[in-house]
Amino acid sequence: MNPPDVTATQEAATKLREQIAAQFGRSLHIRTLDTGSCAVCEQEIRLLSAPHYDLHRLGFFFTPAPRHADLLLVTGPMVRAFEVAARKTYQAMPGPKVVVATGACALGGVYQQDPFVYGQVSDVLPVDVWIPGCPPSPLALLHGLSVAVGRLAAKVQDLTFIAEPGGGA
Amino acid sequence: MPLWFARGLRRGVVTTRYPARPDVSAASLPTPPAFRPGALTRDLAGRLIVTCPSQALRMRGEGQAGGGTLVFDAGACTACGRCAEVAPEAVTASGEFELAATTRGALVKEIPLAGETR
Repeated sequence: MNPPDVTATQEAATKLREQIAAQFGRSLHIRTLDTGSCAVCEQEIRLLSAPHYDLHRLGFFFTPAPRHADLLLVTGPMVRAFEVAARKTYQAMPGPKVVVATGACALGGVYQQDPFVYGQVSDVLPVDVWIPGCPPSPLALLHGLSVAVGRLAAKVQDLTFIAEPGGGA
Repeated sequence: MPLWFARGLRRGVVTTRYPARPDVSAASLPTPPAFRPGALTRDLAGRLIVTCPSQALRMRGEGQAGGGTLVFDAGACTACGRCAEVAPEAVTASGEFELAATTRGALVKEIPLAGETR
């Protein structure tokens, strides 16, 4: 599941995030790409523009065209019929660009054995940030977007998912 | 001054301060499980693997007598809570929702089993 050259990929991702933070400052445009999701991820993404979450206060904006986008927010398990469109969308984006896989199906969780899908976004597009969840809540999406632009550090690598015997996570 | 504007000033702002400050609704979110290794036997782990609808759980070192671990992929987990229903003594909600990762491998965790050395 891991790419073969993890350190090089990680270094490139770090460099890209620094570049993104320097070039875009506090304004980043997001293009969403649905590769066969059940639309609940889209519902949560749409909630980001609702008054309670209001992602515009953080300098994130949605754009309808990939040519104006800095960040590709990909949902769904990557249906095989969608591969060409996904590649074209990625190629149409100006660099530097970030790809964020969103939701359990995009990360390879739900449709692993389905012959009609790749099963994970990283089979087709170079993913930089992974946001788990089914669906990821708007708060999780905000955290993921902040990680993607380097404003917050990812912390999941330090979690063990082992609960203490006395209770508590 | 319009009435809605005065009311808004009096009641304050409804927009969350997240990520600068924690959000009150975060506590009620469904979250991936956390495991209690002391209560997690090999049989129980097998039942959890069968229960999981999104293949987020698998066994590592199954053929060996000892040293088996349960592998939990937080990226594949849908936080449905079925594992916690099957084994409430060994599985609880982790309460973690800030799970964005910059490598896919950071989401894959190894859970030791009860009575087995790693």
